[in-house]
Amino acid sequence: MPVIEVRDLSFSYGDVVAVDGVSFDVADGEILGLLGPNGAGKSTTIKMLTGQLRPDSGSISVLGMSMPEQTQDIQARIGVCFEEKNLYENMSARENLAFFARLFGIKKMDFDPFLRRVGLIDRADDRVSTYSKGMRQRLMITRALINSPDVLFLDEPTDGLDPVSSQAVRKVIEAEAARGASVILTTHDMHEADQLSDRVAFLNEGRIEALDTSENLKLEHGRRSVKIRSRSGDHVDEIVIDLDGSQVGDEISRAVSVEGLMTIHTEEATLEDIFIKLTGRSLEA
Amino acid sequence: MSGPNPSIVATIVRKDLKAFARDRFYFWISVAGLVVYVVVFWVLPDTVNESITVGATGAGIETMLEKAAGEGSEGLNLVAFDSRENLETAVANGKGDVALGLAFPDDFFESVMAGRPVIVSIVATAAVPPELRTAMTSFVREAAFAISGDPLPVSLQEQILGVDRVGDQVSLREKMRPLLAFLVLLLEMMSLAGIIASEIQSRTVVAVITTPARIFDFLTAKIVFGTLLAFSQVVLLLVAIRSLSGEPLLVLTTMLLGSLMVTAFALIAGSFGRDFITVLFWSMLFMIPMMIPAFGLLFPGSASVWIKAIPTYGLVEILTGTTSYGDGWAEAVPNLALLGGWTVIAYVAGLGILRKKVRSL
Repeated sequence: MPVIEVRDLSFSYGDVVAVDGVSFDVADGEILGLLGPNGAGKSTTIKMLTGQLRPDSGSISVLGMSMPEQTQDIQARIGVCFEEKNLYENMSARENLAFFARLFGIKKMDFDPFLRRVGLIDRADDRVSTYSKGMRQRLMITRALINSPDVLFLDEPTDGLDPVSSQAVRKVIEAEAARGASVILTTHDMHEADQLSDRVAFLNEGRIEALDTSENLKLEHGRRSVKIRSRSGDHVDEIVIDLDGSQVGDEISRAVSVEGLMTIHTEEATLEDIFIKLTGRSLEA
Repeated sequence: MSGPNPSIVATIVRKDLKAFARDRFYFWISVAGLVVYVVVFWVLPDTVNESITVGATGAGIETMLEKAAGEGSEGLNLVAFDSRENLETAVANGKGDVALGLAFPDDFFESVMAGRPVIVSIVATAAVPPELRTAMTSFVREAAFAISGDPLPVSLQEQILGVDRVGDQVSLREKMRPLLAFLVLLLEMMSLAGIIASEIQSRTVVAVITTPARIFDFLTAKIVFGTLLAFSQVVLLLVAIRSLSGEPLLVLTTMLLGSLMVTAFALIAGSFGRDFITVLFWSMLFMIPMMIPAFGLLFPGSASVWIKAIPTYGLVEILTGTTSYGDGWAEAVPNLALLGGWTVIAYVAGLGILRKKVRSL
């Protein structure tokens, strides 16, 4: 039985349709990436799934409970990491965690393992206002984990972070999925979606254009090729051979037998290529 | 719908107290405000100066002033002028503290003795309250009576609105009591509005309501925190300015209602506030009209009937009546009902606006 079941979900901001008949399931321990450009409906979908917005139509079931009837029971078992850094700036990391833990009914808790895991233990008692963007984001992720959630909602969890912080956040997400938590993450970073997600949903103008594993999407919609570069005199020649062509073997043999061979790269379509192919839009739009 | 979760409400209130204590501006302005208001109260004079200097001109006026000085002119310091021009100049410039002047016609004595109608001009600036001009009319009548033994052939009608406090003049210190109490309440209203605006702008409220805490818990916590903050501060002030001696329970009940009301205003100001300046702007929007009843006490005669429609009128009236005139529950009930009614209205508006704002985030 899926942990999350979404059927025909729709929501409009006035006349602007943000989410238009979206349906999907998320299994136990699965990471689903919602991939799409700004304004595609990713954050609105997350808001409905976390009880911040009431859908205009459609149904949501999380952990076998229905929204909005059992919103409070659902919220007790989920963790949410928001796109904006909504932390209490004049409180320390430890105080922020203690406050939110109490809202979940947790009166006593050792936060050190959490803070150590994201590299904040040395700054645990400093006010958040003195933190860098990456530190705040790591604290946001930590806050989403204090109730050991069965489902994690992560809205652009690595947006604008440096590579070190991004890596730290990705490790936490993978560890949570390994623990058994289902994860829905929104991103417009194709590499992040590719690396982390078991399945990817392409959202565009409020609708899901495709939903499958990255591998299947690439196989179904992508184009496999080999790029061979060689030097000829002062200039560099580049040949791209389509692996789905009929004379692949011969073409590759000819290309690699030339003098001045420099590099041979296999190439596969990226999620961005597929997104553009399916929607006609770039993920950075 | 079930009631608020006490554990969650207490957790949010504790967090707000911590945030308030750590906000240097709001914390120190609250402490400094309390200290300054107490000092101001005790520095203000506790005596009433009931004398007023009135200039007069006219033929043989000195004789009349001597007569009048002994009869019906308590509190009047009468000064004779040799011409109307000099009198007008003195009144216009406030020379010699002349508050207003009386210009008697040269045939005043003859006319009064003959029982003929006379016209006495009152020379006053626009700043002189109408009550004082009326008082002067009475004085002239008394003077004419002293001269002729008969009343002037002029009939005057006076209508006293509200409780006639003639002879019950209170000192400036006493008059400041409601204003200072109200200023403390308003200061705390700004503090709460600042905390609410901060929660909205940083969207921490969204993080709170995606836990088992509901908007209802969040709103309840803000009401509890705001009321606690305002009530504790105003009680400290009232203790420091000795305002709990007469009817302490009545004063505390009034202040509790006042604290609840300003908390409701803070919900509105906090909903619209984006930063310190906008919080200040929205708070001032409420503060200025709400202070009018208290200012009305400082400037008697300046208040109009519509002031009774201002939500804080009841609060000021009860506090003044209780602390300055010994009023009790019986006299305070209508104003308590008025204050309670306005508090309910303020909450309907405040909760509605803040709830809508939070839902829109």
